[in-house]
Amino acid sequence: MAGVMIVEDDAALREMLRDSLEKRKYTVITAADGREALAKFRPSVVDLVITDLLMPEEDGLMVIMKIREMKPSTRLIAISGGGQAGPGSYLLMASKLGADHVFSKPFLPSELVQKVKELLG
Amino acid sequence: MSGKNHTEESGSIASESHGAAVNAGKAYVMAGAIAHDLNTILTTIYGYSETALETIDETSEAGRNIRRIIEAADRARSLTSQLLDLSRKLAQNKAPLKVIDVLSETLDFLQPSAGSNIIVVRQIKTPGILVEALPEQLFRVFLNIAANALDSMEDTGGSLTVTLDASGISDGTEAGANRRQVLIRFADTGKGMDAETSARMFEPFFTSGKREKGTGLGLTIVRDIVTEMNGSLRVNSEKGRGTVIDLLLPAAEFGSLPEKPYLRNPEK
Repeated sequence: MAGVMIVEDDAALREMLRDSLEKRKYTVITAADGREALAKFRPSVVDLVITDLLMPEEDGLMVIMKIREMKPSTRLIAISGGGQAGPGSYLLMASKLGADHVFSKPFLPSELVQKVKELLG
Repeated sequence: MSGKNHTEESGSIASESHGAAVNAGKAYVMAGAIAHDLNTILTTIYGYSETALETIDETSEAGRNIRRIIEAADRARSLTSQLLDLSRKLAQNKAPLKVIDVLSETLDFLQPSAGSNIIVVRQIKTPGILVEALPEQLFRVFLNIAANALDSMEDTGGSLTVTLDASGISDGTEAGANRRQVLIRFADTGKGMDAETSARMFEPFFTSGKREKGTGLGLTIVRDIVTEMNGSLRVNSEKGRGTVIDLLLPAAEFGSLPEKPYLRNPEK
């Protein structure tokens, strides 16, 4: 089954997303910030990355940039909790850097799981 | 002696003004930060509620209770939306801003998208200088100019030197002979432009870059915002050598409005 990495600094949300995806039989790897994500990323295992944008250590934009370099075929989903002009720009920047899809929090995990399924075809 | 007293008095006023600004700024940043954190928590609440409903009968008592949790979450979601509106409105108050705060925010924001072959140099000559502006608008102006500079060096690498200077620059008019102008210079060593491209760069939908990089409206928006701020733009570019964009803005008269510091990451 395909591998999904979740990068999110909020532990409760991270675990909820892990549960949702593991139930759909995806292999899930989690990281609490960008630095941990880049250290754990294995091109042979991870097919899709879901990343928050504003996190301690390396942020989500850096994760997107680096993973695009390490394995260009990786599918990327950015998630962010703002919605006003500033954070909106972050989501825009995530798209510009190559995120395949962005979600503004709060979103329904079923929508996210559906998007993961679509992107992994 | 009187000079000393005057200085002390000014210091006191400045300090009070700064305190008011911090409070105004705090309200702006707090509203955005609370909304952000609540939205993250709400995603978890929606997630587990949705998962629970998949495993139980929705018409059972437990099912009805979960529906009530979701309805309560919907109300909280509406509140976070109102908080974000409030944060947006607070950000719409034009006030003297420290240029260096917005400039640093922009360059920090763009740093991840600058390739490792690009060096960004910051030359800050007048760190305390203020302009009267909307924080988001000033951010957008800097972002568009700096992002274009980085794009122009994407393939070849190079350097972007950003200079902030307000020493000895006046607006040149008789009325404003003593009014300081703030110079923000973005000098890149990228592809540069020929005279025709340079002359048209602020026109709507005109782009010399790859179409997927943007709409071609970024620099038109920059020009409109700068005009609205009574500022001006000067472009000096040479194909193959790079581009220098000088942004000149009138310095804010300190004390005309309470200083409002630009605050990082209103979302967080």
